[in-house]
Amino acid sequence: MIDPRLVAVKKKLSLIKRILVFSSAKGGVGKSICAAVSALSLSQAGFRTGLLDMDFQGASAHIFLGTELCFPEESRGIKPFRIKERLDFMSFAPFSREHPVPLRGNDVTQAMIELLAITVWDELDFLVVDMPPGIGDEVLDILRFMNRAEFIVITTPSGVVIRVVERLLEMLRNLEVPVVGIIENMKTNESPYRTNSCGERNLSNSYMAKRFQMKLLGSIPFIPDMDELVGRPDALLCSILGLTIKKIMSAITRQRGNSCKSFLGGVNG
Amino acid sequence: MHEWALAEAVISTVDKIYRENNKKSIHSVNISIGEIQSIEMDIFREGLKIILDEYPFGPEVFQFKTEKASFKCNCCGKEWLLEDHAECGEEEREAIHFLPEAAHVYMRCPYCDSPDFKLLKGRGVSIESVELDPGND
Ligand SMILES: Nc1ncnc2c1ncn2[C@@H]1O[C@H](COP(=O)(O)OP(=O)(O)O)[C@@H](O)[C@H]1O
Ligand SMILES: [Mg+2]
Ligand SMILES: [Zn+2]
Repeated sequence: MIDPRLVAVKKKLSLIKRILVFSSAKGGVGKSICAAVSALSLSQAGFRTGLLDMDFQGASAHIFLGTELCFPEESRGIKPFRIKERLDFMSFAPFSREHPVPLRGNDVTQAMIELLAITVWDELDFLVVDMPPGIGDEVLDILRFMNRAEFIVITTPSGVVIRVVERLLEMLRNLEVPVVGIIENMKTNESPYRTNSCGERNLSNSYMAKRFQMKLLGSIPFIPDMDELVGRPDALLCSILGLTIKKIMSAITRQRGNSCKSFLGGVNG
Repeated sequence: MHEWALAEAVISTVDKIYRENNKKSIHSVNISIGEIQSIEMDIFREGLKIILDEYPFGPEVFQFKTEKASFKCNCCGKEWLLEDHAECGEEEREAIHFLPEAAHVYMRCPYCDSPDFKLLKGRGVSIESVELDPGND
């Protein structure tokens, strides 16, 4: 039994110049909003950009973008949704609408392969991937299918978040996965909880970045009236979150995706 | 049509196998079509035929068989078929057609109403075998 979709996935992904994966070991830290706004920002800067919501069970990128859910158009596959000039979007949400999506691991993998095999992206400069929390099936599948993926890890100043995010960084480092850097979101005062996973009383994102030799790309302050910006792409782009992300993205577009070490014998060469 | 993406996937895969086998001519390709994805066979064949124009093998080598969908509930352990399930509405069927995993959104075990079931068979398009012509190196 041969799965014909795998060759198609490889072929389709090979047309994408860079893949940025927004990930964190924790939920609720701002992966989706940072991914959505990064995609908006890249497209505004003139790059052909795709945004793929890989969080099937907690799909929320469309909420930040204010996208209406309907079935995609078909033409030699399914056409992603055009959000703005140069920005296309795909997600599980058009197929599940507002219903719960109870999927086990293998179903997640199958759905991911199907979406990657049938979505017809234009030739893209960037594919931005919004991930679910954790290091489960989705992360392992991203590493299997997209061995050019570059990770951007989202964290907050919370001591609990940092200690959990350290584990993701450790895994990425051990597997030699390219990490563009760390974005600290919801910056407030420093966490009074100070003991990191090494037992040192030094628990901050800047120290964590140093310890893992990764870049701290920027810090986004906590925005008390954030919900007023939800569903309004232009307002999001003009907010302090949007402006910070714009700076981060412009640095990323100036740097070339350098190391692309593969592991796990990924299908994408 | 989204059937075309699947036809394209099948052809790219067969082409890869063809190249890997020193371009031995292909005798037959056996394709299984899962019931749950409700592929429009006319569109699929049409796509296959048109895309194949650029390839050294023709549509006549492709044999199709449909595979009935069967499910097993992870909760109560019973097995069931698509026809044991109340028919889904058109929107739901369309969603499952695009993405068979949407079945977990819209279907329930007919015995215990759980959404926690496994699709045992009949999911989508797969290549069961590719037979190459012998002695034609
Ligand atoms: N900098 C911020 N200030 C205030 N609220 C934020 C900020 N970043 C994200 N949020 C809010 O936090 C919640 C979780 O964000 P989300 O992007 O969905 O996280 P994740 O994808 O990591 O689960 C959302 O309600 C979002 O609006
Ligand atoms: Mg999210
Ligand atoms: Zn049951």
